[in-house]
Amino acid sequence: MFSLIENEVIKMISKKRLLFVFAILIVLISVFAYGQNQTQERTKAQLTQRMGITATDDWRKLADQQLIDMKNRLDSPYRGENSKASLRVRMEQLQYNLDQNINPLEQSAAKFTTRFMEQSIFLFLPLLIIMLAADMVSGESSSGTIKLLLVRNVPRWKILLSKYLTLIILEVIVLFFAFVLSVVISGIFFGFGGWFAPVATGFKVLAGKLDSTSVLNVPQWNYSLMVYSLAFFVAVVVGSISFMISVLVKSTAASIGIIMSTLVAGNFISFFLSDWKVTRYMFMVNLRLTDYLSGSFQPIEGMNMLFSITVLLGWTIASLIISFVYFTKQDILV
Amino acid sequence: MQQPAVLELANLRKTIKGKEIVKGVNLTLNPSQIFGFLGPNGAGKTTTIRMIVGLIKPTEGSVTICGYSVAHNFVKALSNVGCIIESPDMYKYLTGMENLLQLAAMDKKISKQRINDVVEMVGLQHRVNDKVDTYSLGMRQRLGIAQAIMARPKLLILDEPTNGLDPAGMTEFRKLIRKLAYEDGMAVFVSSHLLLEIQQMCDVVSIIKQGSVITTTLVQDILHDDKIEWQLNDPEKAITLLREHWNIVAVRLKNDTISADIGQHSLDKLNEFLIREGIALTYCSTKQHTLEDLFLDLTVGDEIV
Repeated sequence: MFSLIENEVIKMISKKRLLFVFAILIVLISVFAYGQNQTQERTKAQLTQRMGITATDDWRKLADQQLIDMKNRLDSPYRGENSKASLRVRMEQLQYNLDQNINPLEQSAAKFTTRFMEQSIFLFLPLLIIMLAADMVSGESSSGTIKLLLVRNVPRWKILLSKYLTLIILEVIVLFFAFVLSVVISGIFFGFGGWFAPVATGFKVLAGKLDSTSVLNVPQWNYSLMVYSLAFFVAVVVGSISFMISVLVKSTAASIGIIMSTLVAGNFISFFLSDWKVTRYMFMVNLRLTDYLSGSFQPIEGMNMLFSITVLLGWTIASLIISFVYFTKQDILV
Repeated sequence: MQQPAVLELANLRKTIKGKEIVKGVNLTLNPSQIFGFLGPNGAGKTTTIRMIVGLIKPTEGSVTICGYSVAHNFVKALSNVGCIIESPDMYKYLTGMENLLQLAAMDKKISKQRINDVVEMVGLQHRVNDKVDTYSLGMRQRLGIAQAIMARPKLLILDEPTNGLDPAGMTEFRKLIRKLAYEDGMAVFVSSHLLLEIQQMCDVVSIIKQGSVITTTLVQDILHDDKIEWQLNDPEKAITLLREHWNIVAVRLKNDTISADIGQHSLDKLNEFLIREGIALTYCSTKQHTLEDLFLDLTVGDEIV
């Protein structure tokens, strides 16, 4: 099995597809980082103009003021538990900024790296995975080399499994590189710090509303780790589905086309047909897992982290079963 | 105990999309035998081969390789097989050597030394480190043969193996196949529509047409079967006379030429008889029956299905 996986990795590297994925990552991250940098400069300029403070120097005064303000609001007996919790979290963050002398307006490599993945998880990351997964099997079908593999003294399921495991290895590599490249490139712009800054998480949906009673702060590195773990899960899900399409369809172009259009369609289906309940069982609308962490999701009754993960797991398992059954039974006529 | 046949096909059938492509093929192949599988395009040659190596499942019947059923004991059966199916498709983005290493990695018993040996055997040593992308069809064919014989299989299956080979390459190829069969004891299964190729290379030939094997014979038997051609003044009369007196079926080839299989009859006596009956013979020749005649006799006029 090990030599089969080694074979697949050698093929993947020789095809230069992995290199292509890295190139895209480098270009995109650089553009993002540059853009973020510009935005930050503009925001600072605006603040200076509007409030008469120099963002770089006077932010402490502002933070102090906000902190006192929030403490007063927290003490007010008319506040609900919900808003008290979020106030407490906000205060902790401000206090941390003051203690560590970190301007909250400043970007950091840690913040950028996390945000980059949060923004990539539902479209950009899946696209990269599709580039790798969609021709793993169909590529061999269209070039006829699948025959070379299937007439060896190796059972078919082993060959497919080696391909699938290779895909998982590639997913890890892609995420690892996305992380490292984000850190390095954004670090050049914003400095390499920020890993211990507190980030709020733990949002819930109760009765169709965002509930923040159980919100708490976790260090940025911890939060990043969660985001990248979820991204890995999403990569596995999208990878498995593309893998299935790649088994079912004989041409690479068709398999990339099918899975890409599904993905893109999913992004506006969730927007247009949000009242149609069936759509929530589609894998495409459940990919924004990190939104559950940051509390930036549209609260829909019944949709939460557990629900989305269950739906995605269902898709993954179904894809794998279909792939393996079809691949081991099919007649190879190419 | 008798060794099992290298390859045994029993009543092999395949129906694809409601159309019966292979209609009950029975074959037995022994070690050191070079077997030719001859048929026009679309006769079901490749479909049969695909069933042998397990790429497609037979609708009915069974394939047994060295005593192991392909359907029930795929891994053991396929351990004895090396093959090229239809065309020598290789990974174009890898070099010839990388291709061989990939496939060798799937079979533990192939050593680096063995790979170098087969590369030399097929005469690819100077180009083996170039990308397959840059290979000609003939070179890819050689690479295909190299990967097929790499694991020293007991059964070597070659589908249209001489496609794209130059004349020198073909001669080399024949020599190599003979060596593999007669010295190393491989059974070789060659499918082709090139008659001459089969005639020059094979011991046994099966002719397949529209999914059925029409005939299986030793190639030398066909070659010894003599056929006579007469050029004479009254072909109609000669045909009638031969039929009535000698029970020989003659056919008219051209205006003044007839031809017939005379079997055990003596040509001297026949000629004497014809002259006695008043027929003027201009010319008489013995033509060695070639495989081509047999093939055309059996398959001519049929549309490709």
